[in-house]
Amino acid sequence: MNINRRNFLSVLGLTGVSLYTGEKLVAAQKIGNETEFYGVLYDSTRCVGCQGCESVCAEEHGLPEPAPDDVPVSGAVRKANENRRTVINVYNTSKGEVYVKNQCLHCNQPACDSACLTRAMSKTKEGPVIWNGEKCMGCRYCMVSCPFDVPKFEYHSSNPKIVKCNMCYDRVIEGKLPACVEACPAEALTFGTRRELIAEAHRRIINDPGLYYNKIYGESEAGGTGFLYLSPVPFEELGFNTTVQNRPYPELTKGFLYSVPSIFVLWPAVLLGIHKSVKNNNLEEEEYE
Amino acid sequence: MNNQNAVLAKDNDGMPVLKFLAEAIKPKGTFFTPFNMISLPIMVLGFVIIVIRFIKGIGAVTNLTQEVPWGLWIGFDVVTGVAFAGGAYVITFMVYILNMKKYHSIVRVTVLNGFLAYVFYAGALLLDLGRPWNVINPIIGNSFGVSSILFLVAWHFLLYMIAMLIEFSPTIAEWIGNQRARKILSGMTLAAVIFGITLSTLHQSGLGALYLMASEKIHPLWYSEFIPILFFVSSIFAGLSMVIFEGSISQKVFDSQISEKNHRSHDGILHGLSKICTVTLFIYFFLQVLTFVHGKHWDLLNSPMGYWYLTEMIGFVLLPMGLFFYSYRKQNIFLIKLAALITMIGVIINRLNVTVVGFRWDAAVHYFPSWMEIVVTLTVLFVEIWIFRWIVTRLPVLRDSPSWVKKQSSKL
Amino acid sequence: MDGFTYINIFDTKGIEYLVIIGFLLLLIPFWRSLNKPLTVRAKVMSTLGVLTSNILKVPQGLFYSRNHTWTFLEKSGVASVGLDDLLLHITGQVHVNNLKVPGDKVRKGERIAEIAQNGGHLLIKSPISGEIQGVNKSLREGVGALNDDPYGGGWIYKIKPEKWTEETNSYFLANEATLWFKTELLRFKDFIAMSLNKYSPETAMVILQEGGELADNPLSGMPAEVWHDFQEHFLDKVS
Repeated sequence: MNINRRNFLSVLGLTGVSLYTGEKLVAAQKIGNETEFYGVLYDSTRCVGCQGCESVCAEEHGLPEPAPDDVPVSGAVRKANENRRTVINVYNTSKGEVYVKNQCLHCNQPACDSACLTRAMSKTKEGPVIWNGEKCMGCRYCMVSCPFDVPKFEYHSSNPKIVKCNMCYDRVIEGKLPACVEACPAEALTFGTRRELIAEAHRRIINDPGLYYNKIYGESEAGGTGFLYLSPVPFEELGFNTTVQNRPYPELTKGFLYSVPSIFVLWPAVLLGIHKSVKNNNLEEEEYE
Repeated sequence: MNNQNAVLAKDNDGMPVLKFLAEAIKPKGTFFTPFNMISLPIMVLGFVIIVIRFIKGIGAVTNLTQEVPWGLWIGFDVVTGVAFAGGAYVITFMVYILNMKKYHSIVRVTVLNGFLAYVFYAGALLLDLGRPWNVINPIIGNSFGVSSILFLVAWHFLLYMIAMLIEFSPTIAEWIGNQRARKILSGMTLAAVIFGITLSTLHQSGLGALYLMASEKIHPLWYSEFIPILFFVSSIFAGLSMVIFEGSISQKVFDSQISEKNHRSHDGILHGLSKICTVTLFIYFFLQVLTFVHGKHWDLLNSPMGYWYLTEMIGFVLLPMGLFFYSYRKQNIFLIKLAALITMIGVIINRLNVTVVGFRWDAAVHYFPSWMEIVVTLTVLFVEIWIFRWIVTRLPVLRDSPSWVKKQSSKL
Repeated sequence: MDGFTYINIFDTKGIEYLVIIGFLLLLIPFWRSLNKPLTVRAKVMSTLGVLTSNILKVPQGLFYSRNHTWTFLEKSGVASVGLDDLLLHITGQVHVNNLKVPGDKVRKGERIAEIAQNGGHLLIKSPISGEIQGVNKSLREGVGALNDDPYGGGWIYKIKPEKWTEETNSYFLANEATLWFKTELLRFKDFIAMSLNKYSPETAMVILQEGGELADNPLSGMPAEVWHDFQEHFLDKVS
């Protein structure tokens, strides 16, 4: 979808036919240059654990309907899997029971995107990280690299898919809200650009410092994520991975990838040089033996 | 002479092409050997499991989970197997670049071994891919994931297989008896070798770099930003140990193939390789020490994983290094082979520690490969050995080249 | 995040440098002890390439037998007999024990002397038949002349030949001899590789690599079995 639209826009841009499309072109360029990602702010102080997001998510993405008795219980961590892209868990904390929604965090610079060798997993310009089944070869390297263990794999299928939240990408580009955001009765979920959401989150913390723990999870984690969290208690108590580094994960492979071109230039030259000099010196095997 | 087939038929002692092929397919030697009797049932079972895997999905035969997506098939078949195939680039480097003629007699068998290893481990990779029909995507498609280490590794596997095929191709030309082809192909050897060494440097380390992004998932004693370098250095002695091990077996099994002269020189070759192993193990040990100091994980040593780490470092790096050193000085061929064996076990342990044992070491439920994963792994291994044996008994890999080759090379 | 905490990100650098220094210091003894010449090999390597056919003395006019003895008919009609340079280069310094005294009659192929060195010894066969007229006494006092001047002061016997022409017509002369020494040297290389393989396989691989040259006196220090084999392959042939 993403690609089609971009192709369409670039075709427009390249042909640049005539004046009367000028207005559209400007708009297109604006979107093209925009680096502002959409995201979702989840405020766990507002969440009531109704699991409405779980059922609309299943409906929206054609996943099996959640079993009615499958409710969050404190002490037991429910995990997203190939049949559900999002789950609500409840934790017993120093401030009582707190609900937490779990799904893909849509990192600004996702590890899965940089890990994917077919670009099946990709960060869109709009912000959602989406998966394209036509390209994916099922290597599961995205699952190895994701610090949040988000991508799930259909192990019991002969045509397996990678399952993860895509922030309802189809709806977002149509200008609609993600299904879970739209369905949330408690307004625990807010959709918007990431910048707006961070400002809003800060505003909420400042307005009610007693209610909130002074941190937005996702502001800097893994280089910043599209899903942002507010919590009444430290995030460790809510089962968050707080050992996640603040730099983007793809940076970890940067050094290696940067060295590749140099090695391709230097190695053959060095090897040829050795070969030549050894040949000239007529060095026999005795030397190294 | 314009007709390629006619040339083939003519050069091959006048044997018609079809007859030549029929001759090639016919099995040689006794069939009922202990090795065949053990490997055949396992291979049959393995193929059944592979069929199940493609019908019912990967989960039906493996113990992989959403948290541990890569298991034995990647950790052993691919990561460990490729390290063992590293002997090919080390030996070609020594023979073609450093011009160490002493090792020339083992080049062909090592390259063949490396080539088959890559073909079969890449094959094992296909089994592990959920959507293998898309495997061609990163090669031809419009979807180059150039930022991915796996993309780099996949391309390197492909290119390196081609490079090794070129390195090996003169042997095939000698087999079918095509003199002109041999001349052209052997002219390409040096280029293929240089390209192959460059590729090997990058993908041996690249296999380690695959795990760089799993920084919190791998036990800190095994995870460091130096994994690529450690993987590269260890691939040198891993590959050479494999050469020593495989060579010792070939000397016995393919006894009749090997000329008297090469038989005699083989101990000398092992002796020379043992020295290289000593030095690389010595350097590898210090790289490990540096990595450890850099990681500041002193406290972790006093834990079960820490003891396991110390076992690996002392029992499978320092010990084989000492043993290689001693056996080199004493020229004890038996101890050299023993040291090679310990080194190989050590490399397997190291690779599995990074990819399987240390991966999600803190999880409540640990991944342990299912018996079916192990059977499939063995199947891959046995099929490779069968093919290897098939080639060695037919092509001039271990035995000397046909007489016309000498004439041709002296003319050059 | 709320502010920074002080973390010395380079706090292990000092230890790392110490490890590197330790590594370099260890590398020296490690490398040196690894590369200390291996015992048998040491001999070979130290004088690598010394024993080639170029350094062999092959004077004109002498008759060289296949048993590595030479004979030369002097004007007086008496022939001197000695050991050729190749044999002495292969063995190194040896003692000569004469088995015969003047007046003895010897036949071609009969054992006339024994040369010995440490454990090994070789028996020398006469190149000609005849009556022994003189024995080189200087060889008993010192061994020098034998190795230094094998064709002059290093003679062993003076023999009055009985069938000179008949017995020496198959011997090598001059250039023929030079060529023969060359092939004999090659044969010796093969011999020593095989023989060593038989008696001490560990050393075999290092003494002779493909194309490797021999050290001077390669037989010196070898086990007695190798000397015995050498006797069989090089000295016991009659022609």
